[in-house]
Amino acid sequence: MSEELTNQKADEVEQEEGVSRRAFVKVAVGGVCLAYAGAIGYPVYRYLNSPVEKAQILAAVKDVTLDKANELPKGSAMMFKFGPYPALLIHHDDDQWVALNAVCTHLGCTVQYKKETGKIQCACHGGVYDAHTGENIGGPPPKPLTKYVVKVQKGSVLVSRAS
Amino acid sequence: MNYPVWEVPGIGLPWVIGIIAIFHVMISHFAVGGGIYLAVAEAKAIRENRRDWLPILERHSKFFLVLTGVFGAVSGVGIWFAIGLIQPEATSTLIHNFVFGWAIEWVFFIVELSAAAVYYYTWRRIPDKLHMKVGNLYAVASVCTLVIINGILTFMLTPGTTWLKAAGTGHESAYFWNAFFNPTYWPSLILRTLVCLSLAGVWALVSFSRLDDDTFGKAKVSMIRWSAGWLLPAFVLMPFMLGWYLYMVPRENQHLLELGMTTIGSGAFTQITRIALISVISTATIVGIVYFFAYKFPKDLTYGHALSVLFIALAATGSTEYAREAVRKPYVIGSHMYSNGVRISEVDTFNRDGYLTKSMWSPGKDASQVEVGKAMFRGQCLSCHTAGGYRSMRAFLADRDAKAIGNILKVLHDHKLDSPYRYYMPPLVGTQQEIEALQSYLLTLKDAAAPTKVARK
Amino acid sequence: MSKILDYVDERLSLGELRAFAAKKKVPLHRYSYWYYWGGISLFCFICQVVTGIMLLIYFKPGPEAYDSVRQITYDIHFGWLIRSAHNWSATIFLISVLIHMFSVFFMKAYRRPREFGWWSGILLLLLGLTFGFSGYLLPMDELSYFATKIGLATPEALPVLGKTIANLLRGGLEVSDVTVQRFFALHVVILPLLYLPLLGLHLWLVQKHGNAVPPSEEEKPEQERKSIPFFPNFLAKDLGMWLMTLNAIAIMASLFPPQLGKMGDPLSPAPVGIHPEWYFMSQFATLKVIGKLVPGFLGEAAGMTLFALGLILWVLIPFYDVKTKGGLVAKRATYFGIFVVTVLVLTTILGYVLA
Repeated sequence: MSEELTNQKADEVEQEEGVSRRAFVKVAVGGVCLAYAGAIGYPVYRYLNSPVEKAQILAAVKDVTLDKANELPKGSAMMFKFGPYPALLIHHDDDQWVALNAVCTHLGCTVQYKKETGKIQCACHGGVYDAHTGENIGGPPPKPLTKYVVKVQKGSVLVSRAS
Repeated sequence: MNYPVWEVPGIGLPWVIGIIAIFHVMISHFAVGGGIYLAVAEAKAIRENRRDWLPILERHSKFFLVLTGVFGAVSGVGIWFAIGLIQPEATSTLIHNFVFGWAIEWVFFIVELSAAAVYYYTWRRIPDKLHMKVGNLYAVASVCTLVIINGILTFMLTPGTTWLKAAGTGHESAYFWNAFFNPTYWPSLILRTLVCLSLAGVWALVSFSRLDDDTFGKAKVSMIRWSAGWLLPAFVLMPFMLGWYLYMVPRENQHLLELGMTTIGSGAFTQITRIALISVISTATIVGIVYFFAYKFPKDLTYGHALSVLFIALAATGSTEYAREAVRKPYVIGSHMYSNGVRISEVDTFNRDGYLTKSMWSPGKDASQVEVGKAMFRGQCLSCHTAGGYRSMRAFLADRDAKAIGNILKVLHDHKLDSPYRYYMPPLVGTQQEIEALQSYLLTLKDAAAPTKVARK
Repeated sequence: MSKILDYVDERLSLGELRAFAAKKKVPLHRYSYWYYWGGISLFCFICQVVTGIMLLIYFKPGPEAYDSVRQITYDIHFGWLIRSAHNWSATIFLISVLIHMFSVFFMKAYRRPREFGWWSGILLLLLGLTFGFSGYLLPMDELSYFATKIGLATPEALPVLGKTIANLLRGGLEVSDVTVQRFFALHVVILPLLYLPLLGLHLWLVQKHGNAVPPSEEEKPEQERKSIPFFPNFLAKDLGMWLMTLNAIAIMASLFPPQLGKMGDPLSPAPVGIHPEWYFMSQFATLKVIGKLVPGFLGEAAGMTLFALGLILWVLIPFYDVKTKGGLVAKRATYFGIFVVTVLVLTTILGYVLA
């Protein structure tokens, strides 16, 4: 069989194979290797780099100024973006201002403020949070929502990360 | 709800269509590719005077006769039964539009079948020239079946704006050609043709790798090497064609690709990453294996290697088919009819007058709330969900009380622009009473599961 | 490039290795296909090591186990993929090891001089199963919690020492975070330390004695037997199989990633239809059936004795089926193998029906 190997090469391939075909084969083999390196390397890189990405996002955004948000009526809430994350600004009936990260700690759905119950709810799996503290009080969420520091200014609201 | 609802516990209705359709799709791609392959191979053998190829091709053609005549025909009729029972509204819409198309499809299929039979039984019995003509007829007819059905298949994902404007006016079938040559027609046709060609090559490898070295030695080597050529261009081009195809899909549906499969929050599970991963890796493997084992060293191609290539090719094809079906959510006919048979144009009427009021299967005026809820459930949920099997409602509801169920039903009913469910679920239609009835029915469904839990303990 | 090769060759004598590998032959016959399964198992094991090390980067044993797996699955980029690949390559590993073992059995490759290959292989399989059992608990969700709880009830039924062994494995009277910590040490340190040298021995033995040929081939005269060189032909084919195995793992891992259930809670009732992974299903079903016939401690003991007996027979087969020319003994051994496969398949199916 080992002689056959070399025989085969001499047989047909060599005659048919011009320079352009050989170049094509080189590109194809290179492409295959590249495809493998990409399909395996990219997930592995992102996997290892995950905490770095998170830290970079955290480092990039320290606070957000929400124009005109100080006019938000009592007992209502608005959504805004804190960096890449959706967040909730609530103006409570007792004039307390609360800002919370709106990503459910269970599986990452976006939570909503329910005026009727005065609680924050997640529609995906029925998680419930306290609208004042962000504490997880019902359903599957394992952790409370992250709370931000709110400062009401003239003409805007400044939301910043709790240090 | 103009038709009765068929209930299939366990695998649920979607997989009844799914199993038959996946089987049929694979068979028909084999058949179309095989038709072209046989015609081209025979022409080459006669032109280059490779008479030793002919007995091998004769053996090879038997498979395609059985494939088309038995499995293709049976599973094709099976699809008709299944979709008629499971998606009657959508099937009716398709028939109203494409009855002419299906008539042509049927003619081509009959020609394909007859030609395949004549082709197999006239090897060495009629002159070469005539036999090649039969082969060409077989190939052309089988390609034509793809050309026709592709228009109807792609229509369901992208009906196109012209047809959508006419939808509901009663003049839809006047826009037959607009519906037929819809936005995804061409990318899909090219993609499917590539799949057909490559599957024909794969099957040739499987079939020829079993040939005895001593009897067929030289022909075996040259045929395996030649068949490898059928695979390489197809598999190199396929990822790009898939990209083009997905690009032509409406933005709304593309969004679905960015959602996760099992959880809607996490970005890491997205369908598009999975499809990309599978198609890139499978293409690389098949190109690599086929180049080294079939093209470079054809003698080293074992039956096992060829079979493994077949399985990987089928898995790759199957998963892209699956992705294509998934992208159609929440519609059965894009931007026209939701996957539970409710037309977009009917949503407001149903919400105002009630979903069950005009139904022939309404439980009646003095039905209990739970019975009304059950009718709602059968009409609007069963086309995708089951009570306790596939996409089990019991599993979804396990942790929810009446109020939580009410909340999620409200989210589904409101169908707000920022609702994550919007991208893969139809809106829940009906009056407030009907929705409350559904809520109480779901509660009984959930409670029905509880006693077994205790008993098993 | 060639200069570097020369540099390396001069110091490591790669040429000798190449010449040696080229001289080595692999028999070619109609059963040659079965030779690939050992290689496939080896490749899956390598995948296990690589993906396992990557999971190790984020996994936290002890009380935080569940939460760290939740983060891996839902939070960290592609964590679901790494976890899924680890899970699927474990499954494919055990499937290929089983196929490898039975192909060795039916080709009668355990006969002289390959007995140690057979025994080391059985040990490797047992260690592989222990890997599976210990790894299954680590996510600490409902399913893994109860599966482990049920699994540990089996050694508990052993006479005299049973209770002590089960308690030592658990690190308490109930499965808890202490158990996770122990199983973690077992899974990533103790088992690999035992496995790797044994794997080395196994591979060295294969290399030393070469591939066994089935009796039907052995009967043929020398000139009729075919073979191919190990290098490059067989190695290339083997690598081709590895590539396809990798592809199969990638497809399964991306299409069917394992989910994470609710956190394991000792106080909650066991979820409906709880059952172990497929590779323990056969034993699980057997114990269940025996338990119904002979309830209580006696049934468990009877089941355990049965397993032990089966294993001992399996280990001793090389002593029974020694080289005899087409004798009755060889046939009986083959029938025994068929019987074992049938029983394993049937009880596994039974397990799924009962569950």
